[in-house]
Amino acid sequence: MKKKKFYGIASALLASTIALTGCSFGEDSSSTSNSDENSGDQVTIDIFQFKVEFKNQFEELTDKYEEENPDVNINVKTVGGGNDYGSSLKTSFSSGEEPDIFNIGGPSDLEQYEDYLADLSDTDAANAALDGTLTSVDKDGETLGLPFNQEGYGILYNKQIFEEAGIDPAEIKTHEDLVEATELLESKKDELGIQAPFALPAKETWVIGNHLANAFLADEFNHDVMEAYNADSVEFAMGDQMKRFLDLQNEYSVQPTLSLDYSQQVEELFSLGEVAMIQQGNWVYNTIQEMDPEMAENNVGIMPIPVEGYEGSLPVGVPMYWSVNKESEEEVVQASKDFLDWMYTSEEGKKFVTEEFKFIPAYEGYEDQEIADPISKDIYEYAAEGNTLGWVFLGAPTNWTEGSLAVNMQQYLSGDITWEEVEENARNDWEKSRQ
Amino acid sequence: MQNRSPAFWLFLTPVILALGIVVVIPFIYGLFYSFTDWNGLRATQFIGLEHYINLFQEQEFMNSIWFTIKFAVASVLLLNFFGLALALIVTRNIKTNNLLRTVFFMPNLIGGLILGFIWQFIFISVFGDVGDLLGVEGMKGWLSTTETGFWGLVILTSWQMAGYIMIIYIAYLENIPKELIEAAKIDGASSFQRFKNITFPLVAPAFTISMFLTLSTSFKIYDQNLSLTNGGPYNSTQMVAMEIVRTAFSDNQMSYAQAKAVIFFLIVAVVALTQVYYNKKREVEM
Repeated sequence: MKKKKFYGIASALLASTIALTGCSFGEDSSSTSNSDENSGDQVTIDIFQFKVEFKNQFEELTDKYEEENPDVNINVKTVGGGNDYGSSLKTSFSSGEEPDIFNIGGPSDLEQYEDYLADLSDTDAANAALDGTLTSVDKDGETLGLPFNQEGYGILYNKQIFEEAGIDPAEIKTHEDLVEATELLESKKDELGIQAPFALPAKETWVIGNHLANAFLADEFNHDVMEAYNADSVEFAMGDQMKRFLDLQNEYSVQPTLSLDYSQQVEELFSLGEVAMIQQGNWVYNTIQEMDPEMAENNVGIMPIPVEGYEGSLPVGVPMYWSVNKESEEEVVQASKDFLDWMYTSEEGKKFVTEEFKFIPAYEGYEDQEIADPISKDIYEYAAEGNTLGWVFLGAPTNWTEGSLAVNMQQYLSGDITWEEVEENARNDWEKSRQ
Repeated sequence: MQNRSPAFWLFLTPVILALGIVVVIPFIYGLFYSFTDWNGLRATQFIGLEHYINLFQEQEFMNSIWFTIKFAVASVLLLNFFGLALALIVTRNIKTNNLLRTVFFMPNLIGGLILGFIWQFIFISVFGDVGDLLGVEGMKGWLSTTETGFWGLVILTSWQMAGYIMIIYIAYLENIPKELIEAAKIDGASSFQRFKNITFPLVAPAFTISMFLTLSTSFKIYDQNLSLTNGGPYNSTQMVAMEIVRTAFSDNQMSYAQAKAVIFFLIVAVVALTQVYYNKKREVEM
């Protein structure tokens, strides 16, 4: 009797597992069948992209393109953020459902998908791309990707709080200036109605491992992502500056930093005026706008992270590239190129890029376009004047910034290891993967 | 087995097919890939046992195994304790019996990912505020240390699964013949003696099933881990399943991750089978 019961329950569980897997199968086939419906003698482009933030606007754009070009049919599939995108892209390639247009990040993605990447150097967009935005997708004279946009980060501050505290952000140039301002904010905490001057989301490995660290690693690799990609080791020449900037943010942050995440930092704390400064970039604009449109429009400023020798410079770079799959049929490749060209170089496309996507364009010919949000505008100005630091973290070994450096930084913040050990461990990991 | 009619096999085919396609075939593929340098797109060479040798020297993987074992022990004990306790409560003759059963079972209907986020909010914000109010330091800063991350996960899992385990215990508790309990009562057994000498041995088969279920789920837990702590701080609350996913999709070492998954499978299989074997021996036939 007991046996029967055991098997009874076991088989019931099994049945439910199968029922569940059945569900996900159904979902899959329904989304792909979409593409077959309206084919014919039309060209169908399958786009697989990662930017969840602009999914709706992007689909609007493709609808418009379809209207103008009735023989082209575009299917957009969006899978969100960082890791998920990489794994889904890989899955779709290994299952044979290869997209025609997809996104690649840094040089390591390029190397992995090299066999699939079409040369885009004959497109108008490639010719219009700003200097330096194509270096990491340039391989033997071929251009294998087109930049999405530019992004930049620094210290975002609440203008109103700074004004009330009597701090002029333009005066903050060096680390010492920043410390002074921070201490002033700390001492006036109650009057200003803030919890702390900073909010450091140490839980988010990308904030500390990618962005914070990059500001102090860029100089070491001459701001060149390819140099980082080919480096056998990392020196941490500005390691002590990295340490003191991390310490400053950690000490004067809302505690505990190790469980503080991005949404707490931006939504709960910064947008609601609970902290005066956060280290973030232009991508937070939409989030702040949802919380408080008034604040997003008028109340957020950006200032550089103080790096010795680079006072007044912001790290600006291209986070992601569009690539075309060269294994697709020839006409599809051509149609894909036409679409990308249209998006970045036609009047209509340009308008969409700046107004709807709220991108900081990575292309020439946007002089007459109004950049939508104030943070991006500031960053575009820094970039236009050439006051930039490179984004070298995309050239670090796979998962090194988040999986090694950031994890060691977290351990340092928790007090388990010293800063020397952080550098040593991270260096060892770098060297190990570059052997 | 030999005298089965064709209808038997006919009815069995869908299940065997489904099982074969979603479990057996991928498993064999995976096993094969773990001996190659497969990167998710293509495999160029056969490298034999290299991955298996490397993974035993990797500190992070070993840490995650150790963390998972600790977690499994704690949650199996708590889950069965709470499961049985809840079952005992709702099999008494209380008026709100049915309501209570539903309430206790409810957490199990919410997906692990969502539960993780809900509890993250509770641990970080609610605990923090309550701690502030009462001046209890221990309630502040949850999930920012390894200890609190560990207990956070244990609490979350117990809360979610206790109701499910309760259902299994209820089934067995209600099957205990009233005569036995009555006879014991007449003989003058106290309620604790009745529980220890009659109820407990008779629900032993439920232990087998519950232990099996709790043990294997707590080993394989992933979504709760992902949404509650995401391995943090500094990957110290990262369980094996999550470590494998990271190796595969963040580090991009597909075949290496596959080798880890094979080892993980062996561990879970061995632990679960040993447990079932020993528990079965202890059961009492009625």
